[in-house]
Amino acid sequence: MNVRHADQNEIISIRQLSKTYGEKSALEPFTAVWRKGEVTALLGPNGAGKTTFVSMLLGLLKPTTGEVSVFGMKPGTKPFKERVGALLQEAKPADGLKVREVLELFRSFYPAPMPLKRLLAIAGLEEEASRMATTLSGGQRRRLAFALSMAGDPDFIVLDEPTVAMDVASRDRFWDTMKALAAQGKTVLLTTHHLEEADAVADRIVVLAEGRVIAEGTPDELKSSASHQSILFEAPEGTDDSRWLSIPGVERVERQGSRVRLYSLNTDQVLLDLVNTGIQLRNIEVRHATLEEAFRKLTAASEAQDQGGKRHAAV
Amino acid sequence: MRPSNTVMNMFRSQWKAESLRLLRSPFFLLFSLAMPIGFYFLFVSLNGVDLEMSGTTWGVYFLMSMTAFSLIGTAVSQFGIRLSYERKDGWMRLLRLTPLPVEVYIGSKVLSTLAVNLVVIGILFPLAAVIYGLQLTAAQWLLCAAWLWIGSLPFLALGALLGTVKNADATIGIGNVLLMGMAIVGGLWMPLEQLPGWMQAVGQWLPSHQYAQGAWKVLAGGLPGIEEIVVLLGYGIVFMLASGYLYRRQDAV
Repeated sequence: MNVRHADQNEIISIRQLSKTYGEKSALEPFTAVWRKGEVTALLGPNGAGKTTFVSMLLGLLKPTTGEVSVFGMKPGTKPFKERVGALLQEAKPADGLKVREVLELFRSFYPAPMPLKRLLAIAGLEEEASRMATTLSGGQRRRLAFALSMAGDPDFIVLDEPTVAMDVASRDRFWDTMKALAAQGKTVLLTTHHLEEADAVADRIVVLAEGRVIAEGTPDELKSSASHQSILFEAPEGTDDSRWLSIPGVERVERQGSRVRLYSLNTDQVLLDLVNTGIQLRNIEVRHATLEEAFRKLTAASEAQDQGGKRHAAV
Repeated sequence: MRPSNTVMNMFRSQWKAESLRLLRSPFFLLFSLAMPIGFYFLFVSLNGVDLEMSGTTWGVYFLMSMTAFSLIGTAVSQFGIRLSYERKDGWMRLLRLTPLPVEVYIGSKVLSTLAVNLVVIGILFPLAAVIYGLQLTAAQWLLCAAWLWIGSLPFLALGALLGTVKNADATIGIGNVLLMGMAIVGGLWMPLEQLPGWMQAVGQWLPSHQYAQGAWKVLAGGLPGIEEIVVLLGYGIVFMLASGYLYRRQDAV
């Protein structure tokens, strides 16, 4: 018996989950443990393996290796389906049914469904309850699909690119709903290629590139691990890069004409030292890394490593 | 909570939803009601309701043909094409993520189609009977209705087979060619005897012909024979096994 099972809150465990198609690897072995009430974002560019992962997690795709356990249940089984709600990409509602009817239909599949009123409120479709589902706009359809995934009042919610086709107001509302559900103890996994989204809602971010996990952690951890802060300023003619590099803590210098950028882990100290040099500097700015920069840096590093590996193999 | 209740509940909701979808479909109203009714009155007024035909009269003979045409159309276009589109649009995948068992999904679809078929028979038979004052015994009406109703099952199996076609847009073409081909060569548009010899040779073994033949025999004072039953059953079993095999193969990933 694994000792970790003692923690009642670790409800989702993924062990060495991978998928290969012939020679091609779609997802390299992936291991994770997610806790109750946690929102995890799977972040990565298109083709990174997010949908492959989600499909295996839900039992729609057979993994090449590894296994998934959610509340101790295997994907695809009936008890699993009763407690897991999923929103997939590109699911058109069936024709010939009204919004209310589709929701009632899905509610009937579950032993303890969420009340219809609440589902309509979550999706923001109270006004559209009597409209044919096929006449909804793209964003409304996406919200209906979200409500369908919530019909069974699931404890684990899997959302593949949930906010695609939503406008800004819908998106904000959706994030608020997500946070409220997590606060109620529901566990959420969402995939996205929007950093803003991952940063706004996720407790943990898993960055995926080309089927590989290249970073993992809280948004803050990722920001600080992946990039430095920097100081930007305009320097007078004739100042040399070596002058900047001699300041303790400066790790790298970039230059564009008279515009200089110093990278450092400790911008406060560097700033003081800069001022103390007595050089006439103009337009000083201190920049903090955004998650977007971190993300770009991480994926770029992964690609570079890949190319390095390939060169190595060729030798 | 008893699990059996949940399954019954799912079944009832799914059945209701599928029936509503069918009745609201403009294609159903056009192809399964408007077209058979329109053609029935057109061809009966052209040929005369009392025209002698295989031991009966054209008015009732062609009513059975058009009812058969309508029910085959519902099975092939509504059931088959719809299944194919439900897969293409991700609806089936969505349902696979819910606790709805696939047997309940397919079963309720079949039963809702059967219920709607009963409604169609309940519209076509009285409509023709009242307008042309058709003379059949109560037993003949009931037998014809029961035969056409139960006999639509093999065509639902054909619809399920059609639903395995990956390209949903192609199923519309295939479905319509199948429907019209089976109707014309099977002798539903005009009696088989009036078709060229080679068409007759093919036509008499089509499920559509055997299907209508069972009802025509009742009109002539007989009963559906072993031949019709065996041929329809045979087709039904083959379609079912083939579609079952293909669904399982496509599901395996």
